[in-house]
Amino acid sequence: MAAANRPLSPHLQVYRPQITSIISILHRITGVALAGGTLLFTYWLTSAAYGAEAFERSQALLGSWFGLLVLCGFTFSLYFHFANGIRHLFWDVGQGFEMETVRRTGWMVAIFSVVATIVTWIFFCPWLGGA
Amino acid sequence: MVEFTLPANSRPTKGTVHKAESGATNVRAFHVYRFDPDTGDNPRIDTFELDLDKCGPMVLDALIKIKNEVDATLTFRRSCREGVCGSCSFNIDGTNTIACTKPISEIKGDVKIYPLPHMPVIKDLVCDLNQPYAQYAAVEPWIKADTPPPNRERLQSEEERAKLDGMWECILCFCCQTSCPSYWWNGDRYMGPAVLLQANRWIQDSRDEATGDRLDELDDPFRLYRCHTIMNCSNTCPKNLNPGRAIGEIKEALAKRL
Repeated sequence: MAAANRPLSPHLQVYRPQITSIISILHRITGVALAGGTLLFTYWLTSAAYGAEAFERSQALLGSWFGLLVLCGFTFSLYFHFANGIRHLFWDVGQGFEMETVRRTGWMVAIFSVVATIVTWIFFCPWLGGA
Repeated sequence: MVEFTLPANSRPTKGTVHKAESGATNVRAFHVYRFDPDTGDNPRIDTFELDLDKCGPMVLDALIKIKNEVDATLTFRRSCREGVCGSCSFNIDGTNTIACTKPISEIKGDVKIYPLPHMPVIKDLVCDLNQPYAQYAAVEPWIKADTPPPNRERLQSEEERAKLDGMWECILCFCCQTSCPSYWWNGDRYMGPAVLLQANRWIQDSRDEATGDRLDELDDPFRLYRCHTIMNCSNTCPKNLNPGRAIGEIKEALAKRL
Protein backbone atom coordinates (compact mmCIF):
# COMPACT_ATOMS: atom_id res chain seq x y z
CA MET A 1 0.00 0.00 0.00
CA ALA A 2 1.30 3.42 -0.94
CA ALA A 3 2.59 5.46 1.97
CA ALA A 4 0.37 8.34 0.85
CA ASN A 5 -2.74 6.34 1.78
CA ARG A 6 -1.66 5.77 5.34
CA PRO A 7 -4.25 7.06 7.79
CA LEU A 8 -3.38 9.87 10.19
CA SER A 9 -3.52 8.72 13.80
CA PRO A 10 -6.11 10.50 16.01
CA HIS A 11 -4.82 13.58 17.83
CA LEU A 12 -7.27 16.15 19.27
CA GLN A 13 -9.92 13.42 19.18
CA VAL A 14 -8.09 11.29 21.76
CA TYR A 15 -5.60 13.52 23.56
CA ARG A 16 -6.76 14.28 27.10
CA PRO A 17 -7.28 18.02 27.76
CA GLN A 18 -4.98 19.08 30.59
CA ILE A 19 -3.96 22.20 32.46
CA THR A 20 -0.95 22.73 30.14
CA SER A 21 -2.83 22.68 26.84
CA ILE A 22 -6.03 24.33 28.09
CA ILE A 23 -4.21 27.35 29.53
CA SER A 24 -2.15 27.63 26.35
CA ILE A 25 -5.12 27.64 23.99
CA LEU A 26 -6.99 30.06 26.28
CA HIS A 27 -3.97 32.37 26.10
CA ARG A 28 -4.31 32.47 22.35
CA ILE A 29 -8.11 32.81 22.36
CA THR A 30 -8.02 35.64 24.91
CA GLY A 31 -5.27 37.30 22.84
CA VAL A 32 -7.55 37.31 19.80
CA ALA A 33 -10.46 38.48 21.96
CA LEU A 34 -8.37 41.39 23.26
CA ALA A 35 -7.58 42.50 19.71
CA GLY A 36 -11.32 42.43 18.90
CA GLY A 37 -12.14 44.11 22.21
CA THR A 38 -9.72 46.93 21.48
CA LEU A 39 -11.63 47.62 18.26
CA LEU A 40 -14.85 47.71 20.28
CA PHE A 41 -13.27 50.09 22.76
CA THR A 42 -12.13 52.31 19.88
CA TYR A 43 -15.67 52.27 18.47
CA TRP A 44 -17.01 53.42 21.84
CA LEU A 45 -14.47 56.28 22.09
CA THR A 46 -15.02 57.35 18.48
CA SER A 47 -18.77 57.38 18.97
CA ALA A 48 -18.30 59.83 21.82
CA ALA A 49 -16.31 62.11 19.52
CA TYR A 50 -19.04 61.80 16.86
CA GLY A 51 -21.75 63.36 18.95
CA ALA A 52 -24.47 62.73 21.50
CA GLU A 53 -26.66 60.61 19.23
CA ALA A 54 -23.87 58.24 18.21
CA PHE A 55 -22.65 57.98 21.79
CA GLU A 56 -26.14 57.10 22.99
CA ARG A 57 -26.32 54.39 20.37
CA SER A 58 -23.01 52.85 21.43
CA GLN A 59 -23.98 53.12 25.10
CA ALA A 60 -27.24 51.31 24.38
CA LEU A 61 -25.40 48.61 22.43
CA LEU A 62 -22.75 48.02 25.09
CA GLY A 63 -25.33 48.33 27.87
CA SER A 64 -27.60 45.65 26.43
CA TRP A 65 -27.39 42.18 27.97
CA PHE A 66 -25.35 41.02 24.98
CA GLY A 67 -23.04 44.04 25.19
CA LEU A 68 -22.47 43.43 28.89
CA LEU A 69 -21.74 39.77 28.20
CA VAL A 70 -19.12 40.76 25.61
CA LEU A 71 -17.61 43.29 28.04
CA CYS A 72 -17.54 40.63 30.74
CA GLY A 73 -15.61 38.36 28.36
CA PHE A 74 -13.31 41.29 27.55
CA THR A 75 -12.55 41.75 31.26
CA PHE A 76 -11.81 38.05 31.68
CA SER A 77 -9.59 38.07 28.58
CA LEU A 78 -7.67 41.04 29.91
CA TYR A 79 -7.01 39.44 33.31
CA PHE A 80 -6.22 36.02 31.87
CA HIS A 81 -3.86 37.23 29.16
CA PHE A 82 -2.16 39.60 31.59
CA ALA A 83 -1.61 36.95 34.27
CA ASN A 84 -0.52 34.24 31.84
CA GLY A 85 1.69 36.80 30.11
CA ILE A 86 3.59 37.19 33.38
CA ARG A 87 3.91 33.39 33.47
CA HIS A 88 5.42 33.54 29.99
CA LEU A 89 7.86 36.27 31.07
CA PHE A 90 9.15 33.99 33.83
CA TRP A 91 9.64 31.20 31.29
CA ASP A 92 11.48 33.65 29.02
CA VAL A 93 14.11 34.12 31.73
CA GLY A 94 14.31 30.38 32.36
CA GLN A 95 12.17 30.20 35.51
CA GLY A 96 9.18 28.05 36.43
CA PHE A 97 9.76 25.09 34.11
CA GLU A 98 9.35 22.37 36.77
CA MET A 99 6.13 20.49 35.99
CA GLU A 100 4.85 21.02 39.53
CA THR A 101 5.35 24.78 39.13
CA VAL A 102 3.82 24.76 35.64
CA ARG A 103 0.67 23.09 36.98
CA ARG A 104 0.48 25.34 40.03
CA THR A 105 0.98 28.62 38.15
CA GLY A 106 -1.49 27.44 35.50
CA TRP A 107 -4.20 26.97 38.10
CA MET A 108 -3.21 30.28 39.75
CA VAL A 109 -3.77 32.10 36.43
CA ALA A 110 -7.13 30.39 35.91
CA ILE A 111 -8.42 31.09 39.43
CA PHE A 112 -7.06 34.66 39.50
CA SER A 113 -8.68 35.64 36.22
CA VAL A 114 -12.09 34.26 37.20
CA VAL A 115 -12.03 35.85 40.67
CA ALA A 116 -10.70 39.18 39.37
CA THR A 117 -13.41 39.28 36.70
CA ILE A 118 -16.16 38.62 39.25
CA VAL A 119 -14.77 41.19 41.70
CA THR A 120 -14.43 43.81 38.98
CA TRP A 121 -18.01 43.32 37.83
CA ILE A 122 -19.44 43.35 41.33
CA PHE A 123 -17.59 46.64 41.78
CA PHE A 124 -18.64 48.26 38.52
CA CYS A 125 -21.87 46.52 37.63
CA PRO A 126 -24.81 49.00 37.50
CA TRP A 127 -27.47 46.63 38.87
CA LEU A 128 -25.27 45.58 41.77
CA GLY A 129 -24.81 49.14 42.95
CA GLY A 130 -21.40 49.72 41.39
CA ALA A 131 -20.36 52.79 39.45
CA MET B 1 -1.54 23.42 8.91
CA VAL B 2 -4.15 23.28 11.61
CA GLU B 3 -6.77 20.65 10.83
CA PHE B 4 -9.00 19.79 13.74
CA THR B 5 -10.70 16.78 12.15
CA LEU B 6 -9.25 13.59 10.73
CA PRO B 7 -9.17 12.98 6.95
CA ALA B 8 -11.97 10.70 5.70
CA ASN B 9 -9.68 7.66 5.39
CA SER B 10 -8.47 8.05 8.99
CA ARG B 11 -11.72 8.06 10.94
CA PRO B 12 -11.90 4.93 13.10
CA THR B 13 -14.94 2.68 12.86
CA LYS B 14 -16.27 0.19 15.40
CA GLY B 15 -14.32 -3.06 15.34
CA THR B 16 -14.64 -6.53 16.81
CA VAL B 17 -15.39 -7.21 20.46
CA HIS B 18 -13.48 -10.14 21.94
CA LYS B 19 -15.31 -11.23 25.09
CA ALA B 20 -13.45 -12.41 28.16
CA GLU B 21 -13.39 -16.15 28.80
CA SER B 22 -16.29 -17.32 30.95
CA GLY B 23 -15.52 -17.46 34.65
CA ALA B 24 -13.19 -14.45 34.54
CA THR B 25 -13.80 -12.22 37.57
CA ASN B 26 -11.36 -9.31 37.19
CA VAL B 27 -12.26 -8.19 33.67
CA ARG B 28 -11.01 -5.02 32.04
CA ALA B 29 -11.81 -3.85 28.50
CA PHE B 30 -8.95 -2.71 26.25
CA HIS B 31 -9.94 -0.61 23.24
CA VAL B 32 -7.15 -0.87 20.72
CA TYR B 33 -6.67 1.07 17.47
CA ARG B 34 -6.33 -1.28 14.51
CA PHE B 35 -5.38 -0.56 10.92
CA ASP B 36 -4.76 -3.19 8.29
CA PRO B 37 -2.87 -1.78 5.27
CA ASP B 38 -3.80 -4.83 3.15
CA THR B 39 -7.56 -4.17 3.11
CA GLY B 40 -7.58 -0.41 2.59
CA ASP B 41 -10.46 -0.17 5.09
CA ASN B 42 -10.64 2.66 7.58
CA PRO B 43 -8.97 2.06 10.95
CA ARG B 44 -11.19 0.43 13.58
CA ILE B 45 -11.29 0.19 17.35
CA ASP B 46 -11.23 -3.43 18.55
CA THR B 47 -12.24 -4.29 22.09
CA PHE B 48 -10.46 -7.01 24.03
CA GLU B 49 -11.79 -8.07 27.41
CA LEU B 50 -8.99 -9.47 29.54
CA ASP B 51 -8.92 -11.21 32.90
CA LEU B 52 -6.45 -9.07 34.85
CA ASP B 53 -5.91 -11.94 37.30
CA LYS B 54 -4.17 -13.75 34.45
CA CYS B 55 -2.27 -10.74 33.10
CA GLY B 56 0.94 -8.95 34.05
CA PRO B 57 0.70 -5.52 35.70
CA MET B 58 1.69 -3.24 32.80
CA VAL B 59 -0.20 -2.14 29.69
CA LEU B 60 2.49 -3.84 27.60
CA ASP B 61 1.73 -7.13 29.37
CA ALA B 62 -1.89 -6.77 28.25
CA LEU B 63 -0.87 -6.08 24.63
CA ILE B 64 1.42 -9.12 24.62
CA LYS B 65 -1.33 -11.25 26.17
CA ILE B 66 -3.73 -10.14 23.41
CA LYS B 67 -1.16 -10.94 20.73
CA ASN B 68 -0.32 -14.35 22.26
CA GLU B 69 -3.80 -15.52 23.19
CA VAL B 70 -6.49 -13.57 21.33
CA ASP B 71 -5.36 -12.01 18.06
CA ALA B 72 -1.88 -12.76 16.74
CA THR B 73 -2.23 -10.13 14.01
CA LEU B 74 -2.11 -7.26 16.53
CA THR B 75 1.00 -5.29 15.58
CA PHE B 76 3.05 -3.04 17.85
CA ARG B 77 6.68 -2.18 18.57
CA ARG B 78 8.25 -3.38 21.80
CA SER B 79 11.64 -4.54 22.94
CA CYS B 80 13.20 -4.03 26.36
CA ARG B 81 10.01 -4.09 28.50
CA GLU B 82 11.75 -1.93 31.15
CA GLY B 83 11.62 1.66 29.93
CA VAL B 84 15.02 2.04 28.30
CA CYS B 85 14.45 1.33 24.59
CA GLY B 86 11.56 3.70 23.84
CA SER B 87 9.82 1.34 21.40
CA CYS B 88 6.40 0.78 22.98
CA SER B 89 5.28 4.41 23.02
CA PHE B 90 1.56 4.83 22.43
CA ASN B 91 -1.29 7.12 23.35
CA ILE B 92 -2.62 5.33 26.42
CA ASP B 93 -5.61 6.61 28.39
CA GLY B 94 -5.40 9.97 26.60
CA THR B 95 -1.74 10.79 27.07
CA ASN B 96 1.44 9.50 25.50
CA THR B 97 3.60 7.10 27.46
CA ILE B 98 5.54 3.87 27.12
CA ALA B 99 3.35 0.81 27.71
CA CYS B 100 6.03 -1.15 29.59
CA THR B 101 6.18 1.22 32.55
CA LYS B 102 2.48 2.20 32.61
CA PRO B 103 0.61 0.15 35.24
CA ILE B 104 -2.89 -0.92 34.23
CA SER B 105 -3.95 -0.14 37.80
CA GLU B 106 -3.23 3.58 37.21
CA ILE B 107 -5.98 3.72 34.59
CA LYS B 108 -9.59 4.21 35.62
CA GLY B 109 -12.17 2.34 33.57
CA ASP B 110 -11.57 0.99 30.08
CA VAL B 111 -8.04 1.21 28.69
CA LYS B 112 -7.77 3.04 25.37
CA ILE B 113 -4.66 2.47 23.31
CA TYR B 114 -3.95 4.49 20.15
CA PRO B 115 -0.80 5.04 18.11
CA LEU B 116 1.24 8.18 18.82
CA PRO B 117 -0.99 11.11 17.79
CA HIS B 118 -0.99 12.84 14.39
CA MET B 119 1.40 10.43 12.69
CA PRO B 120 0.98 8.30 9.54
CA VAL B 121 -0.02 4.78 10.61
CA ILE B 122 1.76 1.82 9.00
CA LYS B 123 -0.18 -0.90 10.79
CA ASP B 124 -2.19 -1.00 14.04
CA LEU B 125 -0.10 0.77 16.70
CA VAL B 126 2.98 1.17 14.51
CA CYS B 127 3.37 4.64 13.07
CA ASP B 128 5.89 6.04 10.62
CA LEU B 129 8.65 7.83 12.56
CA ASN B 130 10.77 8.83 9.57
CA GLN B 131 10.04 12.52 10.00
CA PRO B 132 11.21 12.85 13.62
CA TYR B 133 14.23 10.63 12.86
CA ALA B 134 15.17 12.88 9.92
CA GLN B 135 14.78 15.91 12.19
CA TYR B 136 16.98 14.21 14.78
CA ALA B 137 19.65 13.63 12.12
CA ALA B 138 19.35 17.28 11.09
CA VAL B 139 20.58 18.53 14.48
CA GLU B 140 23.77 16.45 13.96
CA PRO B 141 23.66 14.73 17.34
CA TRP B 142 27.35 14.04 17.76
CA ILE B 143 30.32 15.94 19.14
CA LYS B 144 31.81 18.43 16.73
CA ALA B 145 35.22 19.85 17.59
CA ASP B 146 37.94 21.45 15.46
CA THR B 147 40.68 21.11 18.03
CA PRO B 148 42.62 17.89 17.54
CA PRO B 149 41.60 15.12 19.92
CA PRO B 150 43.80 14.85 23.01
CA ASN B 151 45.59 11.62 23.91
CA ARG B 152 42.98 10.98 26.54
CA GLU B 153 39.28 11.85 27.11
CA ARG B 154 38.06 15.42 26.61
CA LEU B 155 37.70 16.47 30.22
CA GLN B 156 34.72 18.21 31.80
CA SER B 157 34.25 19.75 35.23
CA GLU B 158 31.54 18.23 37.40
CA GLU B 159 29.41 21.35 36.80
CA GLU B 160 29.80 21.06 33.03
CA ARG B 161 28.85 17.40 33.13
CA ALA B 162 25.85 18.14 35.36
CA LYS B 163 24.38 20.35 32.60
CA LEU B 164 23.76 17.21 30.54
CA ASP B 165 21.68 15.54 33.25
CA GLY B 166 18.03 15.43 32.28
CA MET B 167 18.97 15.23 28.59
CA TRP B 168 21.21 12.21 28.09
CA GLU B 169 18.49 10.01 29.63
CA CYS B 170 16.13 10.61 26.69
CA ILE B 171 15.20 7.32 25.01
CA LEU B 172 13.72 8.92 21.86
CA CYS B 173 10.29 7.35 22.35
CA PHE B 174 8.75 10.53 20.82
CA CYS B 175 5.97 10.67 23.41
CA CYS B 176 6.68 14.39 23.88
CA GLN B 177 7.14 15.04 20.17
CA THR B 178 3.66 13.72 19.36
CA SER B 179 1.97 15.29 22.41
CA CYS B 180 2.74 18.78 21.13
CA PRO B 181 -0.09 20.58 19.27
CA SER B 182 2.50 22.80 17.58
CA TYR B 183 4.16 19.67 16.23
CA TRP B 184 0.78 18.34 15.09
CA TRP B 185 0.10 21.46 13.02
CA ASN B 186 3.64 22.29 11.87
CA GLY B 187 5.60 19.04 12.19
CA ASP B 188 7.04 19.45 8.71
CA ARG B 189 8.93 22.57 9.76
CA TYR B 190 8.96 22.63 13.57
CA MET B 191 11.64 20.39 15.08
CA GLY B 192 9.50 19.32 18.02
CA PRO B 193 10.35 18.87 21.72
CA ALA B 194 12.26 15.56 21.52
CA VAL B 195 14.57 16.78 18.78
CA LEU B 196 15.10 20.18 20.40
CA LEU B 197 15.99 18.48 23.69
CA GLN B 198 18.61 16.50 21.77
CA ALA B 199 19.83 19.68 20.09
CA ASN B 200 20.22 21.31 23.51
CA ARG B 201 22.10 18.26 24.77
CA TRP B 202 24.90 19.21 22.32
CA ILE B 203 24.50 22.98 22.68
CA GLN B 204 25.10 22.66 26.43
CA ASP B 205 27.99 20.20 26.06
CA SER B 206 31.24 21.97 27.09
CA ARG B 207 33.28 19.70 24.79
CA ASP B 208 31.33 20.63 21.68
CA GLU B 209 32.80 23.50 19.62
CA ALA B 210 29.96 24.01 17.14
CA THR B 211 27.56 25.78 19.53
CA GLY B 212 27.30 28.86 17.27
CA ASP B 213 26.50 26.79 14.18
CA ARG B 214 23.95 24.75 16.09
CA LEU B 215 22.20 27.93 17.29
CA ASP B 216 22.32 29.37 13.75
CA GLU B 217 20.52 26.30 12.44
CA LEU B 218 17.74 26.63 14.99
CA ASP B 219 17.29 30.42 14.90
CA ASP B 220 14.18 30.17 12.75
CA PRO B 221 10.51 31.08 13.23
CA PHE B 222 9.51 27.47 12.63
CA ARG B 223 12.34 25.13 13.63
CA LEU B 224 12.58 26.50 17.18
CA TYR B 225 10.06 29.26 17.72
CA ARG B 226 6.93 27.24 16.97
CA CYS B 227 7.33 26.24 20.60
CA HIS B 228 4.73 28.25 22.51
CA THR B 229 5.58 26.72 25.88
CA ILE B 230 2.39 24.66 25.91
CA MET B 231 4.28 22.13 28.09
CA ASN B 232 2.33 19.04 27.03
CA CYS B 233 5.79 17.61 26.30
CA SER B 234 7.15 17.75 29.84
CA ASN B 235 3.76 16.73 31.20
CA THR B 236 3.81 13.46 29.26
CA CYS B 237 7.50 12.38 29.31
CA PRO B 238 7.63 8.80 30.68
CA LYS B 239 11.18 9.42 31.88
CA ASN B 240 10.19 12.61 33.73
CA LEU B 241 12.51 14.73 31.62
CA ASN B 242 11.74 18.35 30.75
CA PRO B 243 11.90 19.09 27.01
CA GLY B 244 10.03 22.35 27.63
CA ARG B 245 12.87 23.60 29.81
CA ALA B 246 15.46 22.42 27.26
CA ILE B 247 13.76 24.50 24.57
CA GLY B 248 13.70 27.44 27.00
CA GLU B 249 17.46 27.05 27.41
CA ILE B 250 17.99 27.19 23.63
CA LYS B 251 15.87 30.36 23.40
CA GLU B 252 17.87 31.82 26.29
CA ALA B 253 21.19 30.94 24.60
CA LEU B 254 19.99 32.69 21.43
CA ALA B 255 18.77 35.74 23.35
CA LYS B 256 22.07 36.08 25.22
CA ARG B 257 24.06 35.80 22.01
CA LEU B 258 22.34 38.73 20.31
